[in-house]
Amino acid sequence: MNKKWWVFLSAALMALFLAACSYGGEEEAEGEATASSEEAVSGGKVSIPIVADPTFNPWHPSAYAESNVINRVIFDGLTKPGKDLVPAPDLAESWETSEDGLTWTFQLRDDVTWHDGEPFTSEDVVFTFNDITLNEELGANSASYFGQVESVEADGDYTVMFNLSSPVAALPAYLSFNTEIIPEHIFQGEDPWDLTSFNKENPVGTGPFKLKSYTSGQSVVLERNEEYFGDAANLDEVEYKILPDANTHVAQLLSGELSIFALDDTSAVERIESADGVDVDGRDTNRFFWLIVNQQEERFQDVKVRQAMEHALDRQNIIDTVLQGYGTIADAGITPALSEYYTDDVKQYPFDPEEAKKLLAEAGWEDTNGDGFVDKDGENFEIIFDIGIQGDLEAIAQLVQQYLIDVGLDVQLNTMDWNTMIDKVVIQRDYAMTLNWWRYPPDPDLKAYMHSDFAEQGNNIPAYQNEEMDKLLDAGAETSDVEERKEIYTEAQKLMAEELPYMFLWYPQEVQVKRSDIDGVPELAFGDTLHYIQEWYMAE
Amino acid sequence: MIRFLLNRFGQSIILLFIVTVITFFLINLAPGGPTGVMRMDASPDERQAVIERLGLDQPVIVRYFEWVGNAVTGDLGTSFNSSEAVVERIAERLPYTMELTVFTIIFSVIAGIILGVISALKRGKAADHVINFSSVIGLSVPSFWLGLMLILLFSVELGWLPSSGVGPRGADFDFGGWMAHLAMPVLILSTTVLPNIVRFTRSSMLEVISQNYIRTARSKGAKEFVVLYVHALRNAMIPIISIIGVLIPRLLSGAVITEAIFGWTGIGTLIIEAANGRDYPLIMGITVVITLVVIISNLLVDIIYSQVDPRVKNMA
Repeated sequence: MNKKWWVFLSAALMALFLAACSYGGEEEAEGEATASSEEAVSGGKVSIPIVADPTFNPWHPSAYAESNVINRVIFDGLTKPGKDLVPAPDLAESWETSEDGLTWTFQLRDDVTWHDGEPFTSEDVVFTFNDITLNEELGANSASYFGQVESVEADGDYTVMFNLSSPVAALPAYLSFNTEIIPEHIFQGEDPWDLTSFNKENPVGTGPFKLKSYTSGQSVVLERNEEYFGDAANLDEVEYKILPDANTHVAQLLSGELSIFALDDTSAVERIESADGVDVDGRDTNRFFWLIVNQQEERFQDVKVRQAMEHALDRQNIIDTVLQGYGTIADAGITPALSEYYTDDVKQYPFDPEEAKKLLAEAGWEDTNGDGFVDKDGENFEIIFDIGIQGDLEAIAQLVQQYLIDVGLDVQLNTMDWNTMIDKVVIQRDYAMTLNWWRYPPDPDLKAYMHSDFAEQGNNIPAYQNEEMDKLLDAGAETSDVEERKEIYTEAQKLMAEELPYMFLWYPQEVQVKRSDIDGVPELAFGDTLHYIQEWYMAE
Repeated sequence: MIRFLLNRFGQSIILLFIVTVITFFLINLAPGGPTGVMRMDASPDERQAVIERLGLDQPVIVRYFEWVGNAVTGDLGTSFNSSEAVVERIAERLPYTMELTVFTIIFSVIAGIILGVISALKRGKAADHVINFSSVIGLSVPSFWLGLMLILLFSVELGWLPSSGVGPRGADFDFGGWMAHLAMPVLILSTTVLPNIVRFTRSSMLEVISQNYIRTARSKGAKEFVVLYVHALRNAMIPIISIIGVLIPRLLSGAVITEAIFGWTGIGTLIIEAANGRDYPLIMGITVVITLVVIISNLLVDIIYSQVDPRVKNMA
């Protein structure tokens, strides 16, 4: 152990460090696999990351994102999101509504069996809805979408009727969104949340894959269901790896240990784009980001104040810098993904700080004492801006804060963990300003987010109240005629843009990352492509 | 010895009680709630149903005593978010954390003592400086960053080591794969304790080799190897054993980050899940188990200590 040896060792260590630090994914190009024209071949496995242990029951109150991506592969709903985002058949082959809109009738497939061999019938659907969803004591996930459903009844083995208290045009769309059917023959007489032998160990579904093994904290492996009612899946297996850390997801994608997922934190996009063997695609989703102010406070009830804030923001700049360009400016709440209903023929709010200041002045807020902040009756316009830490939200909020300060609003950021934010903002409604996003089923019905019925409690968090908006949203929710709905929602979008119940920010695109050797994945948001996982295949 | 153990047992019970009270009230008074209650799009009715179901409408004090009543019978309750028994969930994960920490201790003690002895013997020379410098780096570089760098290097760039997981178990178990999966997590976790062991060994060694009995041993003509490893190191070991006891809690907290980075299926990832989901019974259960592990390991260290150093035995 002489001196030279040590010098060599420390130099080597340094080199290792530097090599690791300067990693930029500049590997040798190995010829891109252009596989789109190749035949779908059977075999292979894909790996998908999830962040926590899943619950194999779509209705369980603790079934969250990590469970949804598995449950929609093991189980089937009556409908699923179509490739054109209009609800497509799944367990139901067809559906229609009655004249008065108070009954929806679904014809079910007669060739479906559960993974344990039992036949699937209308009784399973009746049980799932009547005993689970509509049982108020259970507090099932997604139950709020079915508040107007009074009961579900069977007519023979393969027909079910949903009886409603008032028309719900969006029902087929709601039935495609985390509302899969679970087997009556297993749940009958059991407590659906305590049945861990199903929810945590041995789920029985109807989907293209069934559970092969599950190790808590480690992985969930699904294998092909040979008895699937549609074309059997191409892939042999689907593996969900439980990896709590998002940085690990990126590293494993680059090393080929993970196959496909939606990237939450776009800061890694550039590194992934420059790597070989990985595709990065922007996908439209039914999401809109928003900035809201609590309209229970008088100062925020003046629409000019909200319009001023919208003018104060350079949204394109935020999209370009924080979202790496994956998003388009939003004028109202209905997303371009819902192409049938979307319109951009509404009031626009280009970045214009002078206009913002003018509008604030019209609302009575002017900087009279020259401290840089606008004031009224001797009080500065002070706003506490609550933000939950998740993904890009904090980075976005910092930019928004700066833009608002630039037009004279004294905005202070108050960051907190996600769980605390939900308690303070969503439940207690104890906030002045916040920023977040909504994701909703593929239907333009935004009643839950803007109708005055939900201003006190529920998802109308900004507590916006407007009779005209209520009328439009009610009419849209009750009419199932597409042409009529188009007219209604065009009006509604115009009113939204004018009134700004939410200060609409942008429609984000999901950044979908995928190893290039996986093919047959429809061009949909990641969550929706999972409904078509039986079509995926390994190219080669 | 019996009196010593009884004494320690009594202290442990009191400690455990204090820890549970503090943890229970802290987590219950923290804003937010279990995952089922805190879904962003849940309606007030759905929230209310979950709250009643989980018994969260009861006052905190009532809930605490109910929890203690069950806990003393060994029933740590049911996880809010998974409806599984807390004891089962912990039993499922604890062996993995034990595996990781035991290997880390073995690695850290062996490597730490060797490096510490080298550092002491080469005092002021290049080897000593390199070891000291590396210790400071190991202590100060955040392990999540170092872990990611290792993954990028060994898994992404070189493809030598798997970037996560515990490797195949049961029928598919293979020793090489096991060691490969352990390598990076053990290395990262050892950065939380290895530098301390190195520095402790170094200073302890330096103190011992300047003692008269070492000079006596040398002057008797004993071989240098025997002098160092039989006479010096054995006496230098006493403070090293005590530092290992102190480092165990640090090792367990370091395991949380290490396990998260490397997707290691231990208690660490479970804690994160429990805390993020405000799974009160699970958080309490893990707290109790970890407190017990720390108490027991400290007790073991004390017993070993008294065996190595007769003076301690007499004091007890």
